[in-house]
Amino acid sequence: MSGTSLRPMAGSVGVLVALATLPWWAGDQYQIHLAALIAAWWILVAGLNLVVGFGGQLSIGHVGLLAIGAYAFAILAGRHEWSPWIALAASGGLGGMCGLLLGLPSLRLPGFYFAMATMAFALIVAELVLALGDLTGGGVGLSVPGFPEPFESPAGHYLLMLGIATMITWCAWNVARFPWGRALVAIRDNPVAAESVGVPVFRMKLAVFVASGVTAGLAGALFASLQSYITPDTFVFELGLFFFVCIIIGGRGSIAGPLAGTAILTALPELVAPLAKLGTLFYGLLLLAVVLLVPEGIGRLFQVILERVRPRETASPVLEPDAARLAAAIRRQERP
Amino acid sequence: MLGVLVTGLAIGALYAATALAYNVMYSTSKVLSVTTGHLAMLGGVFGAWFVTELGWHPVPALFASLAVGAFAGWLTDVIAIRRVLARSDEHLWLLSTLALATIVQQGVALWWGTEPKPFPRLLPQDFTAGLADQKYWLPIGTTIVMAAALELFYRRTLYGKLFVAMSEDAFAARARGVETDRLRAISYGIAGALGALAGFAAGQLTFAFFAVGLTLTLNGFIALAVGGLGSNVGALVGGAALGLLNAFSANLIGGEYQNTVSVGLLMLVLLLKPEGLFGSRRVRPV
Repeated sequence: MSGTSLRPMAGSVGVLVALATLPWWAGDQYQIHLAALIAAWWILVAGLNLVVGFGGQLSIGHVGLLAIGAYAFAILAGRHEWSPWIALAASGGLGGMCGLLLGLPSLRLPGFYFAMATMAFALIVAELVLALGDLTGGGVGLSVPGFPEPFESPAGHYLLMLGIATMITWCAWNVARFPWGRALVAIRDNPVAAESVGVPVFRMKLAVFVASGVTAGLAGALFASLQSYITPDTFVFELGLFFFVCIIIGGRGSIAGPLAGTAILTALPELVAPLAKLGTLFYGLLLLAVVLLVPEGIGRLFQVILERVRPRETASPVLEPDAARLAAAIRRQERP
Repeated sequence: MLGVLVTGLAIGALYAATALAYNVMYSTSKVLSVTTGHLAMLGGVFGAWFVTELGWHPVPALFASLAVGAFAGWLTDVIAIRRVLARSDEHLWLLSTLALATIVQQGVALWWGTEPKPFPRLLPQDFTAGLADQKYWLPIGTTIVMAAALELFYRRTLYGKLFVAMSEDAFAARARGVETDRLRAISYGIAGALGALAGFAAGQLTFAFFAVGLTLTLNGFIALAVGGLGSNVGALVGGAALGLLNAFSANLIGGEYQNTVSVGLLMLVLLLKPEGLFGSRRVRPV
């Protein structure tokens, strides 16, 4: 049955090749920019997906970690003129460290408390960015350097981000399909039962949260160098909501769903002008519709429709009675 | 120093009123709704709209704002709570109320604008009154009256006793013939009216501003968690403590660190006494 497992593999390789050659067939620079933006958001969402989609911890404040990564990169690579590569790694590390500091107290809290703690974290970061004007440029913002050759051009920058995004996706996929991911899903569905079968609940939650902090830091650094200028207005709380909506709409507990959700939700307001005016209201409406109508996410909806159109063939096994053994058994019953 | 004290108490009263609205909804549904702060925001924005734009007298404007708030609260139950609770997934109500809160906030931003607009004077008074100004005493007085009225309601009326019964054990109440769905809808309406009243009374302090909702959702929750979930006395004490802490920290180290200080208080209380000052200890599910 190797054919069935090869087909999605071939599909994803095909998509990857198509994405990698995008700079040569894209219509204009703007489409490349949009694709790079999707890659940046996906790097963050891939990590957040492990926390929200698999672990069931509703973090709505990851925009705070994104801002930390972005400002770390801008300050280290821009003002202190570090090599962008080292600054990129430092941004990821700092994101992970802040994830640890945020996760240590807040991951012990029950659902709503945790969501509020992450929201408060996002607001605190926004507040500090404005308050520490000497470091962050305050309301004026900071300019951010790009990466050296050959990643200087928009196409090169896009390919760099695509590479990192692919790597992160591969890591997330590995986490998801091995016992690690199963344990996370167990924590999401029933923490008490998970603990009773020996899953170290708090340690698992903290580990994925720190990992999501690292990806958020990386995404922040890449996003900042993509934008080449950042201000506090870039990292509003609504952006954190956007990441969250991408995962919920794509479907919890899958990787392809949130990936599609990120791509569609990033591109849609750019392509359909009236939606851009509605902005966050549109995301709110979409989230409400999904939660009320298909809480498993739109990915599940496609599955259901697909099964309606092309019902899965379920072979009904026919049981033939083994006459000889049956007769022998009956004889054995009669003997004593 | 007295000025800081009065400002802190006034803003703390608004937090406490939001925490009371949280409590009313929590008592019948065990749900902490993200829309709670937005109910107060609606009271402020609609109050300003009725009085300033439509030119109404403050008294009918107050009642109209209360009606808007009660309607928004009822709508929260119908849209975001009823179907979700029936399906009994633990996290879904958080998502649905968050979605509704976003819709309300962004809807108001599109309609009303993203700039804070001034809230009209409610009582004839000079602007020279200083600390005796109505913008400080209206929210404080309203919140005290609100808490007293809620206490009377819970102790003296049949509906209040039904609320208490539902918060103790919703299944037992249902088995005794209490219409739990209708009671929940009523409690959400009451919470909406209370929130709108708080937002209306504190309008001169916060201005009619769409982003007030999210701030109040967070700070009202902090007041509630500090005071103890489900306790009205706790809500008052927690709100006052949070307001005073905010005002004094703004006076001493500057106003840029408001959220940081508030969350610091929350973390401190959760570390020392996880159930809050006046809360009852939750039993861990096994």
